[in-house]
Amino acid sequence: MFPWFNKKKKSASVAKDRLKIAIMSDRTGHELPFMEDLKRDIIEVIKKYKEVSNIEIRRVSHEETDAIAIEVELEEH
Amino acid sequence: MSKVIAVISGKGGVGKTTTTANVGLGIAMNRRQCVVVDFDIGQRNLDMILGLENRVVYDMVQVMDGEAKLEQALIRSKAHSNLHFLPASQTKDKSVLDSEKIRQLLDDLRQRFEYVILDAPAGIESGFEHTIEFADEAIIVVNPEVSSIRDSDRAIGILDSKSRKVLEGGEVKKHLIINRIDPEMVERGEMLSHTDILEILSIDLLGMVPEDRNVIDASNQGHPIILDEQSEAGQAYRRIAKRLCGEQTPLVVPQVRKKGLVGKLKGLFG
Repeated sequence: MFPWFNKKKKSASVAKDRLKIAIMSDRTGHELPFMEDLKRDIIEVIKKYKEVSNIEIRRVSHEETDAIAIEVELEEH
Repeated sequence: MSKVIAVISGKGGVGKTTTTANVGLGIAMNRRQCVVVDFDIGQRNLDMILGLENRVVYDMVQVMDGEAKLEQALIRSKAHSNLHFLPASQTKDKSVLDSEKIRQLLDDLRQRFEYVILDAPAGIESGFEHTIEFADEAIIVVNPEVSSIRDSDRAIGILDSKSRKVLEGGEVKKHLIINRIDPEMVERGEMLSHTDILEILSIDLLGMVPEDRNVIDASNQGHPIILDEQSEAGQAYRRIAKRLCGEQTPLVVPQVRKKGLVGKLKGLFG
């Protein structure tokens, strides 16, 4: 009836797309089973060069990529 | 064979307790012995929806703790003699729940009833986990709205990882009820349709309940809407109850009511 209103994408389909992505990311979770072991190994490797004071590993998942971000904090001198 | 069915949603306020009351009453109307149990410790509400708040003497926590007998705590519904109700404790909090005691209570209820329906608390905390722990099946209630759908998926995730049946290698059968559908908004593309929701959640559809103002009126009076044969929501719950009792009934998608001229004008102005 009012075609000029229909140019905008219908909000139900926007909701569907957003939900699919949000739920996919919820389902993947932020943990991987080997994270604690990985943490220990990285500390061992870096220790050869410098003392590590803190290490943080996060899983970063987007629509098509799955990655881990590692942040290593070094001991101050 | 009796079964324990947990009614869950994740998000609160989507009609979980209303669904429990109506589904329970509907099952009773289908000549099955049924009990509805309020697992929302500290926030008892099912008694109001069923119109039984003045009859509560003992609650399920007192039964689990041996302070009252099950027969003393069970309340027979005024609406149908096949329906019984076991109230939640209003004074204690959910930390009183204990797996072994819940298992015992549910075993006792299984002896007496064919259908044991548990109204879960909102959220996915310990009270929720205790409700799903010994469930054979689950009814997931959602509204066609983003936060409800997303939260229900989290609740389903916990159901599929923490219930005893799953931990023992089995599966908890899941049924979806989409509640408060506004067919006009769906038609305009402003509300998720049932096919959209099924695509996202991929679980079996048990029924669709249209938005119906009569539901509030029914709650006000403590007469579940299923008793109103004229109301659309009531009819939807009747079909849902039949399906749960093993009867094949077609799924009915809520339709836009064709309005006459007066109705159209009313719609425009009010």
